[in-house]
Order: sequence, then structure tokens, then C-alpha cells
Amino acid sequence: MNEELLAPLSGTIIQVDINVGDRVEEDDDAVLIEAMKMETRIYVPCAGVVKEIRKKVGDKVEEDDIIALIEKN
Amino acid sequence: MKHYFEKMTDFGGPLKKGQIKRGEENEARLKEVEKEIHKAVDDIRNGGFPDEKINARGEMTVWQRLACLVDPGTWCPLHTLYNPADNEEGTTNVIDGIGKISGKWAIIIGFDNKVMAGAWLAGQSENILRVTDLAKRLNIPIVWLVNCSGAKLSEQHKFYANRRGAGAPFYRHAALNQVGIPVLAAIFGTNPAGGGYQGISPTVLFAHEKCNIAVGGAGIVSGMAPKGGFDAASAEELIEKTRHFKSHPPGSVKIHYHETGFFRYVYEKEKEVLDGLREFMKEIPAYDPKFFRVSTPAEPKFPTNDIYKLLPFDQKSVYDFDEILARLVDASEQMEFRPGYGPEVYTGLCRVDGYLVACIGNRQGYLGKGYPEYADYPGIGGKLYRQGMIKMIEFVTLCGRDRIPIIWFQDTSGIDVGDTAEKAELLGLGQSLIYSIQGADIPQMLVVLRKGSAAAHYIMGGPQGNDTNAFTLGTAATEVYVMHGETAAVAMYSRRLVKEKDAGRPIESIIDKMNAISEDYKKFSRPKYCAQAGFVDEIVQMADLRKYMTAFAGAAYQSPKSICPFHQMALPRIIKG
Repeated sequence: MNEELLAPLSGTIIQVDINVGDRVEEDDDAVLIEAMKMETRIYVPCAGVVKEIRKKVGDKVEEDDIIALIEKN
Repeated sequence: MKHYFEKMTDFGGPLKKGQIKRGEENEARLKEVEKEIHKAVDDIRNGGFPDEKINARGEMTVWQRLACLVDPGTWCPLHTLYNPADNEEGTTNVIDGIGKISGKWAIIIGFDNKVMAGAWLAGQSENILRVTDLAKRLNIPIVWLVNCSGAKLSEQHKFYANRRGAGAPFYRHAALNQVGIPVLAAIFGTNPAGGGYQGISPTVLFAHEKCNIAVGGAGIVSGMAPKGGFDAASAEELIEKTRHFKSHPPGSVKIHYHETGFFRYVYEKEKEVLDGLREFMKEIPAYDPKFFRVSTPAEPKFPTNDIYKLLPFDQKSVYDFDEILARLVDASEQMEFRPGYGPEVYTGLCRVDGYLVACIGNRQGYLGKGYPEYADYPGIGGKLYRQGMIKMIEFVTLCGRDRIPIIWFQDTSGIDVGDTAEKAELLGLGQSLIYSIQGADIPQMLVVLRKGSAAAHYIMGGPQGNDTNAFTLGTAATEVYVMHGETAAVAMYSRRLVKEKDAGRPIESIIDKMNAISEDYKKFSRPKYCAQAGFVDEIVQMADLRKYMTAFAGAAYQSPKSICPFHQMALPRIIKG
């Protein structure tokens, strides 16, 4: 079953800390979004394997956009 | 009212594995700055003559006197690095802070007798005036350790005269006495002229048998008549006179205990003076803590040291303010006022050492869809918007009514700007908050957790409220400036860039100027500078924040000027609904 990593706010992706195939734990660093002069770090929502990454550095995201899919353990 | 206060709502949670891991580098960066501050503090402590030289004269240093006087574990130093006039000595030459003496909170201040025998230096009167403001705001005694050789004569123009010059503290002592706040003075060493007035202006004088206080010193008594200048002949005459001049400094115990009676008590040994003060302080009026405590004191559920991992050193990183507050207040419990409204600020009631305090702080991060409600752009924590400002006005006003001291926590980039924000009345709301703070007339303290900038630094309980803000602390992450340096550089040079570019002239020199401004802003906004300039009263370690909050709460409730009975408070009932 896949868990969606969602953008909690609109902004620009400035860092991606995960790769497809990575085994990840809940609360690992996933992505950094820049918005309104601040940087909001998004964390992996659950333990599992990174199945798909839909955004890359430089991409603009809207609130609730799917950034990545994590296949839950 | 115990069902309101004995158990409040739990908040906060233990650090997650990821937080611990990524917090380690952050902790190292914060502690690096704390180390720099600690070194600067050590330099102050070790400044002037070595302790051994002072002790060899049979005298204690101010630091040793403080160690004797203050109840162990209660000392909260303030103004340690304060040096607004950039004295070559690195200090204003007074050491001060809040501490308990025989179980009673007091503001304690002493001349550093290791440095120029405790002389008046530039910036010292400003330091002392801050201390008198603090005592008045908290309504607790000042205890002086007087040991003042008078003016540093070569720099008298920097401090002797002026509205807030060296004589102003004497008026302040009189003003404190007039509102019933005692100024107790332990007097050591030779205190002529300015030192004499430092000695005489307090309420009760505890003297060491070898001390003196006088209008003038022995040197002045011997050579008062100006002759229009010096030459070789007059220098020779002076040499001859000085060789044979023998005089005791006037104003000794013989005069001021046995004749005038200015000294109420005299002691043979320095330690006995301090013991005498400690005995006297036992009798100072103060409410027993049980009168005002709303619950049994309790440590936070989570370690205060976690804050090193929670508060990002990087100013752009967002974090959860509630997690930090949960590590500073009793039992990690609170009662939030108007949750969901004005989400960019936390306002709520907490307990510190069993006393009820109000806490206000900037929340960080994205504030959710549709906020602020008056704008078509999103809101971010750190900024202030209409609802947050209205909420703070309401909360502060009610705290004034309920006589609840306020602890502010700032990490703010300012108030929302632009015509949309102006239509939302933000300019007026900002001043309205200041009006409420001033009118509440309750003790307040501020912790500038990270940024204190723009008007938001003023309106959120800033030190500019001289009547209201008891003291302001900074941390290793503190930055205080009107705006970010790069924003300032853009404001100053963007039009010039356009002009030069349009004229076909090189823009490199303007870019250099912009970078220089940006660097300047960094230099004049960081923790050490903030402490030296007085933007904050002390930079403290994260681990010590709760200690200062405990001192503040205890002092604020020791002898409050007014009382609201618990069962007549409005705020707890408004929160509960």
C-alpha cells in the first residue's frame, strides 16, 4: 500500500533527500520547500521504500500536490 | 479554581529519532555561539586586577562578594557584556543580576572593584538605570555592593553630566524609596565624590569598618585651587607637596557611624557585612509563595536541553514553537487562549515554578489556506496579521485585568505590509497592542528566541517598553535588526542599480556596497553585539532559559502592587468557555 508524501504548502522544491528505492524510516528528511522566504522541511510519513518521486529540485508545487509515493512496510 | 490550574492540557512530545539525528549539527552550531559568549563573559570576570591582588589587601572581589551573598543556584546575571560606550575596559564596571538573598528575590548590583577600583565609566549610568527600572517593575529590593572610587577622570565628559548621566541613579534611588522599594547597600573600600553618593543614596547602609563615603576624596581636599595651567615650576611645587602629603580619606566609620549615624550597621570583616545583609533580607516583606502559587511546582515533562535540537540556527528553517514552550513550563501543560484564531501567535496560560504566567510567542511555518482572511496571499509564521494582533490585544488586556505577568517569546520578521495590510488596520493594531501593554501595568519579560525585527520587535513586549519590560534575554540564535541586511541593501541601492545600468556604467561598485551593508547588518545584529549594545539584557544558554523564567515569576509574585484573586480571574473561564 502506498503512502503519499504531500506538499503541505505552495512553494519551490529546493532539495530532495530521498531516491527511488531508498528504504526510509518515518520522520526521515524527504524534501525542502522554499516559500515566503522560509524553508519548510517535509518528512517521510511512514517507514517503507520510496516507490516514486514526482517532483525535482526547482519544481513549483501547490498545496496538496503529491511529491512522492512511499510503499509502506 | 484548582480545577483550572492544577491540571492543564498536556502539550509537546518527546523528540523523534529523525529530530534527534538532524538536531545534532544544529546543537553544535548553537553551542559554538554560546562558547563565544561564555569566553566574552570570562574575559569580564577576569578583567582588571587578579583576585589575589585584591584579596592580599584584605578585600573580596565583587564576584566573591556575590558568591557569598546570593543563595546558591539562584543567580541570573544580566548586562554582563553590556558596554554601550565601547569602553576599552570592556565593561560598564557594574555587575548585576537577579538572585535570592535569604530566600527573597532582589536585584543585586555591585561595582567591579577589580577594574579601576570600581570607578564610574561611560555607559554605567545607563546600566544602573536599567537595573532601577527592573527593580521598580518587579517591585523588589535593590541590593548594592558599593565600592566606587569615583569618576574615571580622563573620560568624565562621557558620563558625569547629562540627563541620564552618573547623577541620575541618585534620583532613581530617591524615586524607588518614594514608592516603597528599599535600596540596601553594603559599603566597602574608599568611596569619594560619586562613590560617596552611591553610598549615601540607598535606604540602609551596611558598612565595613574600613570603608568611607565622602563628598570629596583626599586628593581633592589637598589641591583644589586651579591656577590657569601647569608649568615646570608648579609641577615642582606639586611634587614637594605630594611627597609630604599625608591624609586619610574622609568619611570613615569614625565619622559616619559614630558622628552622623549614616551607617546603620558596621562590621569588622567583609563577610560579616554580607552576612548582616543576608540577615536583614530575611525580614524584608514578601508574600510566602503559597499565597500566589496555583499548583505545586513541576519540571517540564521533556528536557529543556531538547531546545538545542528544536530551535534551528538557520533563520530560514521553520519549527514548532509549542514544542519549545513545552520544555520551559511546568509539567508541559498549558491553556491556550483562542486556538485557531490568529494562528501565527500562541497566547495562553502556563505555570512556572507553580506560578501562573501568560505566554505569548510567534508560531512558525505555513498558516493554512485562506489565511490571512483579508488577503489573497498566504500567511507565514513569524509575520503578524490582523487576527494575531487582535488576539494579542485581547489577551494582554485580560492579563492586565487578571494581574498575570507575561513572558513573551519573539521570532518575528515583522508585520504584514502593503495596502491590503493597511486596509486591514495593521498599523493601528500594532500601536493598539503597545497601548494595551502599557495600560496593563504588569511585569513582563521577553526572550528573543531568534529574530526580533521591524515593528514587531517593539510591539511584542519589546524592551522599548521601559515601564513594562523588566528584562530581555537573547539566545545563541538571536538576531535583532530593523530588517534583514539584504532587504536593507535592496531598499538602499535598487534605484541606483537601475540608474547606473541604464546609463551604461558598471554596477560592480554598487554590488560591493550592497554586500558591505549586508555584512554590516550581520555584524550589528548577532548575539554578542546585541548584548554589548544592550538590545538584550543578557544572552543566555538555552538550558538556562527556564531558570530566568523562574526568577521572573518568583520576583513578580513576591510583592505585587496589585492582586486579582484566582476566583475572580476572567481569562481561565474565557479559555474554558
